[in-house]
Amino acid sequence: MKRTCTATVHEVGGAAVIELTGEVDGGAAGTLNAAYDQAVTGGAAGTLVLDFAAVDYINSTGIALIVSVLARARSERRAVVASGLSAHYREIFDITRLSDFIEVFADLDTAVSQVAGPAA
Amino acid sequence: MTSLTQPARPPGRRLAAFAVASEPGNERLALDQVAAAVASSGLTPARLERLKTAVAEATMNAIEHGNLGQPDVPVDVEVIQDGADIIVAITDLGGEHQPAGPAEEPDLALKLDGVQRARGWGLFLIRNMVDGMQVRTDGQRHTVELTMRSEGDQT
Repeated sequence: MKRTCTATVHEVGGAAVIELTGEVDGGAAGTLNAAYDQAVTGGAAGTLVLDFAAVDYINSTGIALIVSVLARARSERRAVVASGLSAHYREIFDITRLSDFIEVFADLDTAVSQVAGPAA
Repeated sequence: MTSLTQPARPPGRRLAAFAVASEPGNERLALDQVAAAVASSGLTPARLERLKTAVAEATMNAIEHGNLGQPDVPVDVEVIQDGADIIVAITDLGGEHQPAGPAEEPDLALKLDGVQRARGWGLFLIRNMVDGMQVRTDGQRHTVELTMRSEGDQT
């Protein structure tokens, strides 16, 4: 059964965290773009953390969406990091060279501890 | 006219044969059924995941570019075991067409600079996920054949 992509956005220590669930495919475009907008609205959000721990499928269109998010973030001088990727999708990040531009952390706690400043 | 870009595949033991309607998202049905069919074939979990991604991408391409998203036109999927080789043949009725994406190799740096479009990863992923890919066209039947070896699989 298809699991529609959902996104939860919150801020930790100046970093914006986007926790994704379900399937990152063509149907996820609206969700991902809205999450990005929410993440950067009204805050510095120098770093975006994309958490994939609850994502069970990413296809080539989903990769393209991630590329678009990365391109937008770079144009706005924001860093993007990722967490929670399975070994398979970590490999795909390597093959596509996404991991050259998006630092990948094993889990969200590790990512946040590395990129976020002290909590207010 | 018949155009064969590769020789017909060798005979083997059929593990599964099924069809999916050409509707968005049905590549998930294909990959789930292929995964079930090859469950006892000796592929390691990592290589099974690679095969699943390749099957999904090839099926998505067949749905979108081969059958042009017409729900009543099926995508046929056949899974064969030929010795150590797992062969998945994915057939649409679109005749000769590109398997997926643009002819150019995707380059992430160029995509980030806007020189290449963000999409165009499908064929690249297929090529990098499986041990072999062949394409053959017989009239309207366009088949992408994916090969994954299970023997000596250590990954």
